[in-house]
Amino acid sequence: MPLENHERARLLLHRSLIEGISPEDRHWLDAHVGQCAECARYADLSARAVRALDWFAIELDPAAALRVENVVRTRAEEMRSAESLAKSLWIGTGVAILLTFTGSAVTWRILASLASQWNLPSRVWQIGFAAFWLLPSLLLALLPLFRRRLLGEHSDSKGHAT
Amino acid sequence: MVAVVTAFSCVAEPESQFIARALRRRDSEFIGRMVSRYHYRLLRYLVYWTSRREQAEDLVQETWLRVLEHAGQYNGRLRFEPWLFSIARNLAIDHLRKQQTATARHRMCREDEAGVDLPAPDFESPFLAAARSEDAKRVAAALGALEPIYREALLLRFQEEMSLAEIAQVAGAPISTVSSRIHRGLSMLQTSLGGGADAT
Repeated sequence: MPLENHERARLLLHRSLIEGISPEDRHWLDAHVGQCAECARYADLSARAVRALDWFAIELDPAAALRVENVVRTRAEEMRSAESLAKSLWIGTGVAILLTFTGSAVTWRILASLASQWNLPSRVWQIGFAAFWLLPSLLLALLPLFRRRLLGEHSDSKGHAT
Repeated sequence: MVAVVTAFSCVAEPESQFIARALRRRDSEFIGRMVSRYHYRLLRYLVYWTSRREQAEDLVQETWLRVLEHAGQYNGRLRFEPWLFSIARNLAIDHLRKQQTATARHRMCREDEAGVDLPAPDFESPFLAAARSEDAKRVAAALGALEPIYREALLLRFQEEMSLAEIAQVAGAPISTVSSRIHRGLSMLQTSLGGGADAT
């Protein structure tokens, strides 16, 4: 029997295990292995090598498996609650921005209509509008500047009291 | 063959999409069941990579935590297993790299200090521990001697029964490379089983 036939048979044997072979190749391989003792032994050895992998069954430690499961579950719950909090914050921010724009538009119209009723110059009510929106923010921003002074006076009054 | 693949895809698709949705929802009940379902397979895969049981157990947990972190990346179009195993693989490789760096650094320090080399790590190979017969011991020795990439290829093909394309996805290597790794690993196992010159 030509050497190439044995080589082809061994190649096909491995290929049949790894990725599968065509029906024609299978037919040729079966015929060859049927009449070649050496290749039949090689085929048996290939099958045994694959079966041998099943001999290494790893013993499971149920306690370790449960521990992993609990850690992963807890982490999933933490992530879900953190994500739902983040989602609420995003929704809150979106609603606040929407209300700011809507509120500004409504206030602008109201002030414009009042100004036309009272014959006020447009610059006056527009400054009033800007002050209405900016003053609370400005006061909050300025508060830290006077914080020490306010606290100092407070502690002084405390000191006098004691 | 094509019909079988198509039928399998049809069956596998809803499950993988269900898994993707559950992961994105952080459904702890379902994720807990998944951890339990894949525990043995993941542990076995990581033992094949690290050759150390304790490290493999730690890596199983890290794998699931990484799955939770990257849940958004799994869209459910492909099977879940290759994605899961590729995460485990990346962690195992990172772990082995860190271990090698630490060992090399430790060895250099010891050599600088006393000129003495470190002893071999004191642990029993999990393959040898599982081997019950003489034949199994021979195969265990061969498996232990194989590089992890060959062990991985054998495990994914013959025990996880993944297709070459799926193994390539896990290993991040071309299909031809995966095929030659399996071929090489198989040849080495055959040799250890007494094939000798015949098997190679």
